[in-house]
Amino acid sequence: MSFAAPWWLLTALAVPLLGGFWWTQRARRRQHALRHPGVAMIGAMVPRVPAWRRWLPAGLLALAALGLSATVARPQMTFDVPVEKASVVLVTDASGSMEAADVQPTRLQAAQLAAERFMSAIPDTLLVGVVGYASSVRATLDPTLEHEQVRATIAALDADGGTASGDALNAALDSLAARKGDDGETAPAAIVLLSDGKTTEGTSPLEAADRAEQLGIPIFTVALGTDDGVVMQPDGELLRVPPDPETLRAIADRSGGRAFQVEDTGALEGVYEDLGSRIGTEPEEREVSAAFAGVSLLLLAGGLGVGLRWRSRVV
Amino acid sequence: MTALRTPAGRQGPGALPGDAVARLDVALRRRASGALSGDHLTPGAATGMEIAQLRPYEAGDDVRRLDPAASARTGVPHIRLQVPERAVTVWLVLDVSPSMAFGTQGRLKSDVTEGVAEVVGRMAVRRGGRIAVAVVGGAVTRLLPPSGGRMALARLRALIRAGVVPDGAPGAPTAAGALANGLRRVARLARAKGVVIVVSDFRDPDWAGPLRQVAARHTVVAVQVVDPAESELPDGGQLVLVDPETGDLVEVDTSSPALREVYAGAERERRAQVTSGLRHAGAGHVVLHTNRDWLRDLGRSLA
Repeated sequence: MSFAAPWWLLTALAVPLLGGFWWTQRARRRQHALRHPGVAMIGAMVPRVPAWRRWLPAGLLALAALGLSATVARPQMTFDVPVEKASVVLVTDASGSMEAADVQPTRLQAAQLAAERFMSAIPDTLLVGVVGYASSVRATLDPTLEHEQVRATIAALDADGGTASGDALNAALDSLAARKGDDGETAPAAIVLLSDGKTTEGTSPLEAADRAEQLGIPIFTVALGTDDGVVMQPDGELLRVPPDPETLRAIADRSGGRAFQVEDTGALEGVYEDLGSRIGTEPEEREVSAAFAGVSLLLLAGGLGVGLRWRSRVV
Repeated sequence: MTALRTPAGRQGPGALPGDAVARLDVALRRRASGALSGDHLTPGAATGMEIAQLRPYEAGDDVRRLDPAASARTGVPHIRLQVPERAVTVWLVLDVSPSMAFGTQGRLKSDVTEGVAEVVGRMAVRRGGRIAVAVVGGAVTRLLPPSGGRMALARLRALIRAGVVPDGAPGAPTAAGALANGLRRVARLARAKGVVIVVSDFRDPDWAGPLRQVAARHTVVAVQVVDPAESELPDGGQLVLVDPETGDLVEVDTSSPALREVYAGAERERRAQVTSGLRHAGAGHVVLHTNRDWLRDLGRSLA
């Protein structure tokens, strides 16, 4: 909460001043009280009003005055507003090492579940695309509002082959660069890269990261897996498939994104959820004076009504 | 001992014409003599004014009692005999509690008290009578022991002029039951049968028992002083009222007719209780209003 015209908050000083004035008037009235011998009898007749009922009207009016003073100072709050025409491409590694079971149930299935989480965290106005890759780009889906298609594409990925991260990133950048907003500027875009190992083939992913930085598209990288991940090879041997967090961190740093490293499904899902809300919305400051004014008027009406009804006087 | 103070707004009792006092004297004496019945001479009896009989002279009668007019008329010596009168001690119990310093219609209740005390004092010291005063209202009852003559009257007037007990402040100890204490004291001190005149607004609690005790031996006349603003609350909007005795404050909305009705009803009930209490005690009851000619009302009630 911030105030666009904070000096107006000084009008709130009127409340204690008025309170002090009312208090002195009350003391004055008591000082000039009329003598009457029947006060004991009257005291027995007049119902004893509990303290909170006596002070409630004045309290409500004071709150209303404070609310109006805050309204005049133009309060503003930060809201998370869905980004218009923003796009994000989920670049998902579908290489053979994604069969490893160190991340339950398998790395690839964990990634698919996490992507589901992501889809539920983003607003409906966000365009989502998919690039599934192994030795080459396997499946692409241009950023679209049809989130069902995105779910289907991700679910259809199979784990097989090498890791060509650079090619995949370039493909994603191609599909994003083509998008333009209504006013001719490139709409905000981001890439989420999930990989579990070193790049084995294709162009260097670091060059793709530089290109992303030039285009102004941040790449968020997620390094999935533990050092104990193993995969059963066709000849029966176990191949160790540790992740490669250093390269991924370098990709993220160069392109202006963030690097994450996760070792289990829960953390992965958490990261995707965070990314979903991070990419899909942006903070915007909006004036909430109308809400303040409305609440103040309600308090004013309430205070006046309660005062007149209970005590047949305003304060 | 709280010092008495003249109340603000004191108007004085008003004019006290001499013949009104004389009429009251006769009326009160008639009341009092009913309680002093008995044809035998008692110690300290003096010759009174009321004529008992006019009869022919017999040997042994007092020669000073010869009545010349009757003797000349009939030719036979006659003597005039009068009812022996005992010197009556009148006890005056004056209520000077803070609630008496209240009045809205031209006179305070304490002004009427002063007037009644002056009138009763004048009556009491006639023909050798004595007057004693008990001033109740503060924490301690002030007493003026029985005395007669001009000195007694002067002392009574000085005591009346002293005023009333000042208003109680919140938190200070109040003198509730001052009237009851004073009556108990009078019951203890007044041995000989006499007249007790109690001038009060009877707003104190628990006065009925001690008054019954006093009325068992003496003739009691209770003079109740009332102000119209006590019977009914005036319509003044939102008012803060303070109790003169305790200093308690109460905020009351007098523009509500329902509240005024309830108050008037409660006040009527209280006065009915006072009336019945006085009747049970066997005391005479006089009600004086501050907005009327109290002297005339007193005379009419006593006659």
